Amino acid sequence: MHKPQKTVSLLLTVLLVGAALSGCSGSGDKNDGEASQGASPSASAKPSESASASPEASGSASPSGLDTSKHVELQFYMLGDAPKDLGIIQAEINKMAESELNATVKFNYTSWTDWDQKYKLLLSSGQPIDLIFTADWTQYQAYAKKGAFLPLDELLPKASPKLQAFVPQDMWDAVKIDGKIYTVPATFKEYVTNGFVYREDLREKYNLPVPKDIASFEAYLDGIKKNEPDMQPLSMNSDVKTNLMDVFREINDDTVGGPLPYGIGIKYNKPTEVYSYWGSDEMKADLTVIQRWQQKGFFAKNVLNVKDTMQAPIVSGKAAAMLGDNPNRFNDTQLKMQSSHPDWKLGYYPFPLTRGFATPVHPIHNGFAIPKSSKNPERALAFYEKMVTDKRYNQLTQYGIEGKNYTVKDGYYKMIGDSTSNGFGREGMNGWAWRNPEFMLFDKSFDGVKEIFAELDKIQKPDIFTGFAEDYTPYQAERAALEQVEKQYFYPLYAGLVKNVDEGMKTAMDKAKQAGLEKVQEGYKKQWLEYTAANGIQ
Amino acid sequence: MAIREDKYAVLFKTISYTVIIVLTIACLLPFLLVISASLTENEAIVKYGYRFIPKEFSFEGYRLVFKFPEQVLSAYKVTTITTVVGTLLGLLFITMAGYVLQRRDFKYRNAFSFFIYFTTLFGGGLVPWYILITKYLKLTDTYTVLIYPGLMTPFLIILMKNFIRSAIPEELNESAKIDGANDFKIYYRIVLPLSLPGIATVGLFLALAYWNDWFLSSLFINDQKMYQLQFYLYNIVNTIQFIMQMGAGTGVSLGQDIPTESTKMAMAIVVTGPILLLYPFVQRYFVKGLTIGAVKG
Repeated sequence: MHKPQKTVSLLLTVLLVGAALSGCSGSGDKNDGEASQGASPSASAKPSESASASPEASGSASPSGLDTSKHVELQFYMLGDAPKDLGIIQAEINKMAESELNATVKFNYTSWTDWDQKYKLLLSSGQPIDLIFTADWTQYQAYAKKGAFLPLDELLPKASPKLQAFVPQDMWDAVKIDGKIYTVPATFKEYVTNGFVYREDLREKYNLPVPKDIASFEAYLDGIKKNEPDMQPLSMNSDVKTNLMDVFREINDDTVGGPLPYGIGIKYNKPTEVYSYWGSDEMKADLTVIQRWQQKGFFAKNVLNVKDTMQAPIVSGKAAAMLGDNPNRFNDTQLKMQSSHPDWKLGYYPFPLTRGFATPVHPIHNGFAIPKSSKNPERALAFYEKMVTDKRYNQLTQYGIEGKNYTVKDGYYKMIGDSTSNGFGREGMNGWAWRNPEFMLFDKSFDGVKEIFAELDKIQKPDIFTGFAEDYTPYQAERAALEQVEKQYFYPLYAGLVKNVDEGMKTAMDKAKQAGLEKVQEGYKKQWLEYTAANGIQ
Repeated sequence: MAIREDKYAVLFKTISYTVIIVLTIACLLPFLLVISASLTENEAIVKYGYRFIPKEFSFEGYRLVFKFPEQVLSAYKVTTITTVVGTLLGLLFITMAGYVLQRRDFKYRNAFSFFIYFTTLFGGGLVPWYILITKYLKLTDTYTVLIYPGLMTPFLIILMKNFIRSAIPEELNESAKIDGANDFKIYYRIVLPLSLPGIATVGLFLALAYWNDWFLSSLFINDQKMYQLQFYLYNIVNTIQFIMQMGAGTGVSLGQDIPTESTKMAMAIVVTGPILLLYPFVQRYFVKGLTIGAVKG
């Protein structure tokens, strides 16, 4: 009798210790979770199958106009975190929608935690959703190609003629995937092209050149390093692909758009020539420059462990420059910096001025689609029409309640209180997609951005990259393997941490080739050339 | 002989104390760092990094957290409710399952045990599970969804089963039966009191799992007022990471302010503090429960 009890209590003690320790290993668990999620792409990569299985409820309405005889509740999904006062706004919106459309809406937010995975689940699980945000960075093209969304071509004239007329025809054409419209694009024209961000006051003080290209930028950084030894010349963090490599290629290599996947290179001026950037002399030259920057100490040696945002060190004065940022975010950074250090100045030099042309955002960049699983697509579209074209709906969901959340003075938007006390900030619902230029209110500080936009307007050229919808199913396995290789072998190169660039590139290329680089690049190239031929891009 | 043993004892004591002290310090230092950072002026953290003694002392972090405490408080409420309800319900079901599965007169006990064990090896995966809960059970935005999935785990059922089997001899069941007790009475008058140490362990497991859970909130909760505490924290960190990762090309601009370093740390203290203080006191009871079980029999 004694023996088993002893072992049991021993077992229990071990378990207790285990339990106590497991409390400390939270981050480890997280990684496990991510790994297992990443390991099952096959289950989630086919939203079309499960989506098409759900019934299509669109056929029941009468062909002329909108049938509002039955009350419905619409499920509206947006990314990010909901504003604090969302409940109040939702109630206000529902009061109007109830009487005008016989519909109520529920605004749902995914939060930024694992948003991409949740987005995938929302579209593939077949749960009824009526409106969902789409963008190039949420893989709109891929999802549309797989049939996750409802085609809107026939619904538009019936449910929302006003919206159809409001969005220009060329925008409708631009968002078409395989000849069908799947999303309602935003019509606000903006630029999210990069530009050098640098401390203008220091540039003046030490008489340094204005950064216009990589060479002058390096000269500027050299000057900072020499004169301000305590300062880190360049702000950089662990995401060296997005924040260093992609930006570097944008200014230096005339990329068609980006980020280009799988080490592929395509130039804006020669869009039909697809080459492998990985392993090219062009890459070697770029990496040599980055390695030199690393050796000169422009950014930290442990850059792959830096988890700061790019902007934070600029605001606090720890770093002097950023390789690239878009006009809007540059403006935010400048405002934040000047609120604590009014005597500092921040300069901006847009890449388009150097490259000779600027591409405004593609219509795909912000939009709303109706998933296949929607039970009330017509009412959803009619409601979305209200959100965009009806001033009451639009301003309520973009800026909150006038007098409570904001005031308008001389045509400028002004927030009441500050961002912690105010329950609904400007564009508090992340309403990038239903911005309507006619109703938009801007903070006075936005004038700076408008100036930059006006400058870029003069040299604008169309974005020929974002309309391309890649279908990676033929090389899905190789694609996943390649991602791993890039993380493991290319990131240290991107960070300038490999002593011998030649050798480092050779090893990385060998590994990439083993992972199936050629098959992936060939597949991508074929699809790209089909796309350029179909759209007459030369 | 005796002297030599003493020598060894002293040596053993010195070594074990040193090891434990080093381990304790290794566990405590990060906490100290967090506490110190939460009391430091944010500018100082950015400029000089983390230090054990705040370079510029400030309560600003805590002031910001408590300026609008309702989010933290509601997260606390949700986590407390799910932990208490989930642990109690879970214990009830797990002990019942364990009790039934170890009864020799239950003919299909092995089949059922295997069935439960089987689920630890093979599962449907994330997507079917998600579909089940959102589409068929329709549990989004309910307290049920925060409690229900974690209620019973195969591992704990098997643990409980084995514990009851070793702690309660079959003869005890028989004699109780002869005295006129029915199966349920045996369960709550005999099995439950005798398996207290096991219940304590399983209860601790359950409570920890509920307290530390964030994944269920992440998947199934849209209403910010129903976020669990851990998810509330985790989401703040993730938002910052999202902003960091999204390149300028996405054009995403977020209205809200990013919490400063010192606010983040203050929030971590506010969120973990109470449970940290509670833990040592509660743990004494668990240890007591364990030793009671060990001495008896």
